[in-house]
Amino acid sequence: MTQATESEERLLIEAAQNDPSRFAELYEQNFHRVYAYVARRVRDRAEIQDLTAQVFHQALANLGKFKWRGSPFAAWLYRIAANAIADQARHKVRESADEPNLSSDSSTATDLEEVERRARLFSAVDKLPEDQRRVIVMRFADEKSIREIAGELQRSEGAVKQLQFRALENLRNRLIEKK
Amino acid sequence: MSERSIIDQLDDAVAALAEARQPDLKSLGSELSALVGVAQDLVGLPREAFKADLQQQLIRSNSMSSSAPQPQTNPVRSMSLYICVANASAAIDFYREAFGAKELWRLVEPGGKIGHAEIQIGNTSLMLSDEYPDYNTLSPETIGGSPVKIHLDVTDVDSFAEHAIKAGATLVRPIADQFYGDRSGQLADPFGYTWIVSTHIKDVPVEEMQKEMDKWAQEESAKKSYEAGINEPKMRRENRHAVTPYITVHKPAELIDFVTQSFGAIEHFRATGSAGGMHAEVSIGDSIVMIGGAEHIEPMPTAIHLYVPDVDEAYERAVKAGAKSLMPVVDQPYGERSGGVEDAEGNRWYIATTTVPLKTIAQDLHTVTVYFHPIGAQRFIDFVTDAFGGKELMRHAEGDMIMHAKVQIGDSVIELGEARYPTQPLPTAIYLYVNDVDAMYEQALKAGGTSMLAPTDQAFGDRNAWVKDPFDNVWYIAAPVKR
Repeated sequence: MTQATESEERLLIEAAQNDPSRFAELYEQNFHRVYAYVARRVRDRAEIQDLTAQVFHQALANLGKFKWRGSPFAAWLYRIAANAIADQARHKVRESADEPNLSSDSSTATDLEEVERRARLFSAVDKLPEDQRRVIVMRFADEKSIREIAGELQRSEGAVKQLQFRALENLRNRLIEKK
Repeated sequence: MSERSIIDQLDDAVAALAEARQPDLKSLGSELSALVGVAQDLVGLPREAFKADLQQQLIRSNSMSSSAPQPQTNPVRSMSLYICVANASAAIDFYREAFGAKELWRLVEPGGKIGHAEIQIGNTSLMLSDEYPDYNTLSPETIGGSPVKIHLDVTDVDSFAEHAIKAGATLVRPIADQFYGDRSGQLADPFGYTWIVSTHIKDVPVEEMQKEMDKWAQEESAKKSYEAGINEPKMRRENRHAVTPYITVHKPAELIDFVTQSFGAIEHFRATGSAGGMHAEVSIGDSIVMIGGAEHIEPMPTAIHLYVPDVDEAYERAVKAGAKSLMPVVDQPYGERSGGVEDAEGNRWYIATTTVPLKTIAQDLHTVTVYFHPIGAQRFIDFVTDAFGGKELMRHAEGDMIMHAKVQIGDSVIELGEARYPTQPLPTAIYLYVNDVDAMYEQALKAGGTSMLAPTDQAFGDRNAWVKDPFDNVWYIAAPVKR
């Protein structure tokens, strides 16, 4: 993810506040952050998706209320996400009558660093060479086996494994560069 | 350690992660461990479809939650449709009802005139405005139709069309499977635009489409030469019969089907007329019959004396096609065998076969003859004589009552008889070809006609004027525009 500078981000937010169709850019900038944030606290993919969707819908609906106070837009989104996760947990507790395990805001600094790192990794996948990107997406997002991927791409299993290897190497190098 | 085995080892670790097992890192070198670490972070990578779908959802909820009026458009497209309609506000209402359009925003003049509006149909926005003649922004109603048709992709064309027709659209071409892989048809809206509504069913390679196209073109040209053979030179506008009936009904497409099935009519074209209804022309025998209308247009059914080669067969086919019998086929004392039916749209067809050639009954008698039942047949004859230079050819009267008469107008003959039943006066519309529209128009007004439209050059190539006679018949007096 190319980190928007503070002033760039501010412009994007103002643009989206005036014309909601510009929200797409903010979405693009922050999708992986929100997803990674939620994924750190929730395991189930369907649940992660539900919560991520909720966060963006709420953010869009309340965009007019967002006031620039110097903290990044992502921080605002994380707060919405934390609340959404907490709400869902409470809801579940009501359903299962289990002992709640709620810490209102468990986001520590290392926590957020982890989230940002993972978000950068997700975004880096988009910049891989196309054949490597496809293998990574099929393997990790679509959760397919090497055999299934080989079938779909009409490559040998060895070739797919090699692409996976190169892709992971590439991703690691990119993350190191970023640091 | 060879590279191949490193690759395999890494995949073993990834496979373990995928099954939520802890990979065995001990046996891996630090290089490989780092890669497994990356893989670990990739587990649960978001799906691309989810990301894209959510973005779509957000865009949609955007255009719906337009609480504050703000210019909203879809993501910018290179090309958009901008239409002009005679009543933009009514058009927006109609498109909402008929096509499920959402209004995005509008700019309104103090008087209520819409200077610009945008609506969304499906995932596409459509721009529209009222007429601005000073800026040459004119509606189909003003210029006599639109050469542009709008193609609309929908998920279920049949139910879409059914709904749209209920809301006031007119079916111009029935919904059918097309050779290019769409199921589609055409609807006319009340504002003069034709919409090709379509659901894509299957992909057809271009070569295959071209083959079908070639086949179609061949059939078309065969049909044309056949028609030209039987109708030449009647097909050309300047050679049309002076008196051509214009039948206006609620469901013109169904009437065309009816005359095709019953009387072997041949359809020449159908289009969207200036009032937003259908305008079509068919020929029956040596005559042209214009058929038009729509649900929103007042119907004007017609009584027609129709000469066919075999009246019994035509009568039977008409009844089979849904007409109700007015009188069975019998031999008449005046030299013809005839019967009568009324079609579903209220037109009365007096079908006949003569035992002698038509020309011996009247010099200019054609296959299709309009039959009038005015209240005051004598006054009607007087009117067509004064207004259009009609010449009475014959009459059969009982006392003062004119039972049957023939009057010649130009190269055509009309028939009439005094109305004897309350349902008989059936005021209709006639397209009347003349040499001089303006002169004939003046003459018709002097004879007691009322002007509905002063002589006007129409975009479809005719100069015409509309006159209503004292018996409520509408005469479209027409000639080709002089160039």
